[in-house]
Order: sequence, then structure tokens, then C-alpha cells
Amino acid sequence: MKPEKAKLVVDGLKEAGVDFAAGVPDAQFIEVYKMLAEDRDIHYVGAANEAEATGIGFGAWFGGKKPALILATSGLLVATYHLARINLLHEVPVLVVIPYRGDIGDPRWLGLYKKTTEPGLNAMDIPYRIVSRSADIVRTIKDCNESARAWLKPVAVLLNEEALW
Amino acid sequence: MVTRFSLLKEFSAIVPDDVLVLTSIGNNSGFWGQLKDREANLFHLTMGMCSSTALGLSLALPNRKVVALDSDGNLTLNLGVLGTIANEAPKNLTIVVMDNANYLGSHKHEPGMPTATAGKMNLEAVARACGIASASTIEDAVAFRDQIQAALSSAGPHFIRARIEALDTDGPKKSKRVPDPRENKYQFAGYIQKTEGVEILGSGLGGG
Repeated sequence: MKPEKAKLVVDGLKEAGVDFAAGVPDAQFIEVYKMLAEDRDIHYVGAANEAEATGIGFGAWFGGKKPALILATSGLLVATYHLARINLLHEVPVLVVIPYRGDIGDPRWLGLYKKTTEPGLNAMDIPYRIVSRSADIVRTIKDCNESARAWLKPVAVLLNEEALW
Repeated sequence: MVTRFSLLKEFSAIVPDDVLVLTSIGNNSGFWGQLKDREANLFHLTMGMCSSTALGLSLALPNRKVVALDSDGNLTLNLGVLGTIANEAPKNLTIVVMDNANYLGSHKHEPGMPTATAGKMNLEAVARACGIASASTIEDAVAFRDQIQAALSSAGPHFIRARIEALDTDGPKKSKRVPDPRENKYQFAGYIQKTEGVEILGSGLGGG
């Protein structure tokens, strides 16, 4: 991932007012995690798994933070139970940002993620947007977070490799 | 050993009004909701989610004391959070684990299947090895009161493993309804908005 594309993701989070993030680093988004870990405006917490990160973000929202979860596509599957719970039982807004493996632009066919990511989000009733152009990264992250906070429910942004590479 | 209810009664007698208390699903939520009807409670934190939620809240509000009333089965589902807590090191966080060494669930009349703590796992040692220096084990109400008071008056993070009876042989009289997750969200977030001056719930125009 080129650093300028990672910066667009971090810029989008800042434009959205995100001041707290949690996640588990993955190779595809590593530059984003590095930037977040060094950023002074966003408190990034590195969790041991994505379900834990979901709980951390959920708790931070109750403290007045605007949280984002930065999850690998595989990590979404790990976080599923807790994400479904905070969406369908608690109704708490958390922005979810995912580098979308298995979609257009991916150099490898990772059908596992193509077959699980969008159906999983739909099953959890979590609205999402797919971003395919880097020019749309900042605006879409901002728009999705505004909707999450207005609706009091998680909203996801899927950034595919067309947008990231 | 001591029962969960005995310890929660001790805590209810001494917990300051402004301490934020988070409870795991099952009898920690059910009993605490009967014992201590207060706005500063967040209930129903599901398996693997109690201590992680408390961590996020304690980081967001570093000047507010946060106590998680967790349980052994709930914590061990996401045990890695202890390492995250140690590294983030929130001074305002206390984790209490009601360790009954089994998956009791709610409303059971006999102990459930054993958790790892029924075998070789010692959660105090695990917490300490994760880097939480203030880790202790209590087995009676007096020691629990001493530990929780010490935790609330000193810099954490603190970890208290409370070894409790396998079965909840006593409990509170059910006299009130514990709020459901949505109702509890508005109550708890509204209370924090009011006492911390932060905006959480927004305009309220989202669903209409």
C-alpha cells in the first residue's frame, strides 16, 4: 500500500471527527495502522483480536469518543458476534473501515472474503459503502461516520484494491 | 469461599455514586441491577466484551473511575484484553472477575460445565504475567472490601480475582426490572453526558 493512500484513509478519519480507533494490524493496511499509532489526534488501541477491538470502541463511545474500528476483512469475521450485538441490541454507532480483500483489484482471488463480507454485513443489518476510487476515500469515510452517529448504528466502509493501490 | 451475592452486597454498600460500573451478562448484571439501581451502570456485556468495553470507557474518560464486574467464562473468551489493558495502563480501571470456575449462566440450579479456571488456569497469575502489577485474589467478603477500596483509592489498572462459590445459592429479591440494552444505553450515555459535559447521543433525529 502506498503511503499516500494510507494518508487518505487517516485524513478521512480526521475529517469525520474520529478521535479513537481500535483494531488488529494486517499486511494490507499496515501503513494506516502505523500512521494511527503515531497520530496525536486519534488514540489508537492495538487489540489482540477484532472482537476485543469492537468492545473497546463500544466502550469509548460511551465516554464521548467518536470511535472507528480498523479491521482486516478476515477480522470482520472475528468481530461479527460483538458487532452484531452492538448494532442489533445496544444500537451504538461505530465506524468500521475495512480494506476489502476479494473485491475488484485484488491480485489474488480471495473468494472467502467476497462470499462472507457483504453478506455478513447485510445479515448484521450494517449499512456499508464500497469505495473503488481513491478520490472518494475521504468523503465516503466522513459521510459514513456522519450516518453512523445520526442513526446510532455501525456503518462500514469497504476500500477495495482499486482504491488503495 | 463466598457467594457472588455476598460480594456484590459489599460492593453496593461502598461504591461511590460517580464510579461507572459495567457488568457481564448473567447474574452479575441481574444481581447488580437489583442491588444498585443507579444511572452509572452499564449492564449486559456479553461473552468476551465486559473488560474490553471497560477498557475503552476508561481510556475515553481518564478522570473517572471505572469498575468492570466480569466473570471467568466471559473474560477467558477474550483473554488477550489483559495484555491490552496492561499496555494501555489506564489508572482509573479496576477489573473484578467473579471466578466461579464454571459456565453457570443465569437461573441455574446446578453448576455448569467447568471453565479453564476449574483446572490449571489462575487468572491472578495470568493478569500479572500480562503486565498488570496490581493483581490479587480474594476469597471472602472482608478481603474483597479491602481490595476494592484500595483499588478505588489508588492508581491502576487493578485486577481482582474473586473466587466465589460454584453456584449462586443466594441472591437478591427481584423487585425491579433491569433495563434492556437500548434503554440502558440511553440511561448510561445520558448520565455521562450530564456529568462529563460530553456529547454522545447527538441530535436524536436519527430514527423517526
